[in-house]
Amino acid sequence: MRTRIAAGRVIDPAHRRDGIGDVWVDDGRIIDAPPSGTAADQTFNATGKIVMAGAIDIHSHIAGWNVNTARLLLPEFHRAATPRPAGTPLSNAGWSTFATGCLYAEMGFTTVVEPAVLPHYALHAHLELADTPIIDTATLAVLGNDDFLLALIRDRESATAVEDYVAWTLDAARALGVKVVNAGGSLALKANVRQFGFDDVVPDYGVSSREIVKTLQRATHALGVPHPLHVHCNNLGMAGSDATALTTIAAAEGLPLHLAHLQFYGYGKEGARGFSSAAPQLAEAVNGAKSVTIDVGQVMFGQTVTVSLDTLRQFNSRNHARPRKWVLLEGDANGGGIVPYNYRAGDFYNAVQWAVGLELFLLIDDPWRVFFTTDHPNGAPFTTYPEIFALLMDRDLRAQQIAALPPDAMAVTTLPGIAREYSLSEIATMTRAAPARLLGLTDRGHLGAGAVADIAVYSDDRDRAKMFRAAALVFKDGELVVRDGVVTRYRAGRALTVQPGRDRAIDRRMTRYYDERYGLSDAYIKIPDHAVGRPFGLVPCAR
Amino acid sequence: MGRAWIGGKPAALERALDEAVRLLAASRCPLIAGLGTDIAGARAAILLAERVGGIIDHMHSHTLLRELAVLREAGMMLTTPNEARLRADVLLLVGPSLGKESPEPNRSLGLDARGSGDAGRRTIIRLCPGRAATALPGETALGRDPDQLPRLLAALRSRLAGRSVGKTAVPAKAIESVATLLKAARFGVAVWSAADLDALAIEMLCGIVADLNTQTRFTGVSIAPPDNAVGVLQACGWMTGFPMRTGFGRGYPEHDPWRYNGDDLQATGAADCVLWISAYRAATSPWRDRSRLIALTTGHAISGSPPAVQIEVGRPGVDHDAVEHCPPLGTLVAVAATQRSGTPSVADALGHMLAALPEPAR
Repeated sequence: MRTRIAAGRVIDPAHRRDGIGDVWVDDGRIIDAPPSGTAADQTFNATGKIVMAGAIDIHSHIAGWNVNTARLLLPEFHRAATPRPAGTPLSNAGWSTFATGCLYAEMGFTTVVEPAVLPHYALHAHLELADTPIIDTATLAVLGNDDFLLALIRDRESATAVEDYVAWTLDAARALGVKVVNAGGSLALKANVRQFGFDDVVPDYGVSSREIVKTLQRATHALGVPHPLHVHCNNLGMAGSDATALTTIAAAEGLPLHLAHLQFYGYGKEGARGFSSAAPQLAEAVNGAKSVTIDVGQVMFGQTVTVSLDTLRQFNSRNHARPRKWVLLEGDANGGGIVPYNYRAGDFYNAVQWAVGLELFLLIDDPWRVFFTTDHPNGAPFTTYPEIFALLMDRDLRAQQIAALPPDAMAVTTLPGIAREYSLSEIATMTRAAPARLLGLTDRGHLGAGAVADIAVYSDDRDRAKMFRAAALVFKDGELVVRDGVVTRYRAGRALTVQPGRDRAIDRRMTRYYDERYGLSDAYIKIPDHAVGRPFGLVPCAR
Repeated sequence: MGRAWIGGKPAALERALDEAVRLLAASRCPLIAGLGTDIAGARAAILLAERVGGIIDHMHSHTLLRELAVLREAGMMLTTPNEARLRADVLLLVGPSLGKESPEPNRSLGLDARGSGDAGRRTIIRLCPGRAATALPGETALGRDPDQLPRLLAALRSRLAGRSVGKTAVPAKAIESVATLLKAARFGVAVWSAADLDALAIEMLCGIVADLNTQTRFTGVSIAPPDNAVGVLQACGWMTGFPMRTGFGRGYPEHDPWRYNGDDLQATGAADCVLWISAYRAATSPWRDRSRLIALTTGHAISGSPPAVQIEVGRPGVDHDAVEHCPPLGTLVAVAATQRSGTPSVADALGHMLAALPEPAR
């Protein structure tokens, strides 16, 4: 069926396109405009509307044991929403996978990456993602606190051995990329270490955090996995964590490296309270390190819950839990911590955090290297995205909100003096074109012929938050799924994975390892096709 | 093909499914209980409950919810049995369930290799292991009768905090020496089963664990109930946001551990149709009125007073491939069928019912 989205303002930075025109779709893919006079089977009038590719979120904790434990920990946070017509299964569940897929789609997002999946919990995460309708999803497999990798490094095994292990893990866990979370920090916590930096050494293994990060960075690169190693640095959230971030950025050494939620490391020790924005220094370092990409992890005020595999960080913040309850799982490798938290506009520290995120957005000059996240739900729920788009696009709106925040907090940031406003094209770069490139998803994030027809159409509105909150139309694989901000059609998404090649000797070695260490079959760690009930999409690797 | 019975008489599977659908559609307050099934079966049961405006509960909810009551009031520190075996230098085993000769969790905790030099490698403390239990050489025992647990735990916590201890069933010196062992742990693990402890005792134990972390490292393992209770809990969590004992009567999920207690709903007759699921073993429904009972169980026809409809279902991981909670790893795993058969799975049977139900009113 041939579909024409007619006469909208088409913003497609991947093709340097920003102007009034049509977008044509056939059989789930975008096609070149046919010769004029060709009739479409259906036409959507997009006059006065903005047409972009479906948005891509590279870092949002939407599925898995930790997220689910947060649901069970906080039943009071998700009383069922206002009942809607029973047209779609479980569409009325409050905080469920079903709601997650619908809420994302309604904002025009069509691909979301769950970035924190421990290989042992990968099947659980994929089952949740399979129950997350409409959007395509992917996971990052987390390594770097696992006994097998640290033993490889400790025993000075070859780079090839590490690469084979990483490739085996990506395949077993059906992941799109590799992440490391406070490399070695969770193992250190098990040995009662309470603070752990980039050059500290993991007890019992004699391996530094730096060695773990560098080993994984090189292996990911050598395997040709499109997404660079995704790093959650040490010392998250601490005053002085700017030094950790700067050290980690320098450690990229020209190879691709992605730093997650940099906002949480943008804290210097200046000012009367010894807590200040270091965003300008971090932004300068990112601007200078061309192989480095970052996402922000913007904080927005309100109640949320922090969900993280950084058990050391979550352990240290346990006494800040609001409400006063928290869960810490120290399982195999990282484990995870769930600590509810309330970001308050009147709180000095929270106000600085809010400003640091916006400073990073506005001071990093290349929208291809700064990514849009709140580290959902850690900085704020993903449902706050429209408000953040509005803040980035409107300095007057920022000034209004700054005026309502503690002046001493604003005084230790540079935000009040920043005039930059994002254009719609820059927003489209940051949320569409750049994430697709970062993840190696050549078939999306743009509106060129051959792309998956994931398309978001917004009613142009001076109130950007209103505009981005409820897309006028959203197409997934060419099928209309949202109209006027409401999901009208349920469909299953795909999970996107990579499968780099490996020497199969690693498979026999992993079988032995699981037998010896756990007394269990390594089949338990793998995800067979029958288990999830939907096909996986394969993204090619460079090698 | 699986076997089926209507009113205790053998029937074709299709007819039994039709009869089940008829009963469900006519019900004003259907209850889906038992719920001993794999993830696919749990998913199908939840979707079915939503469609018929029913209530879901699990046969081990009373145990799970005791645990969850503590989790959502106070939080918890946890690890996996495997990590406890690999890392713990002190194991605090609480309650009588852990003294029993069950292969799990003793195997994954490394407790089954009796007398294999364990005592030298790590400290094992048994708290109220039961009257019949005997502490093994090298182990420390504190208390005997499980009834003593709440007071003993309170005394221990008080002692660990440096406060004096009131009168308990055991001498203060014994409490003192256990407190000393716990504080000396480098990575200690408390192990309990919520089947043995009430919520206050679990909270006190979790409080002890949290307190110990001020100085050293300590965490906990809660023994999972059988019949894939934790797996079903996980599926229920991501699909509805809530644990079991959730109802869909108003068209959206509402969780209420008291109002949606399946045992009470059956005993009082508030539920007017019960779909009972037990695919791991032939556990029977406690419901007396069998005229509106649909049973999806393993094995033969239920003897005595037969249910209105009984459908034989396959055993997860035996008759068909499945996903279920794996206690040693504390996570969901895929298991391949060991004796693959044509007996329908719970998900198959419920899927047929869902498809045959009349479309919901818009």
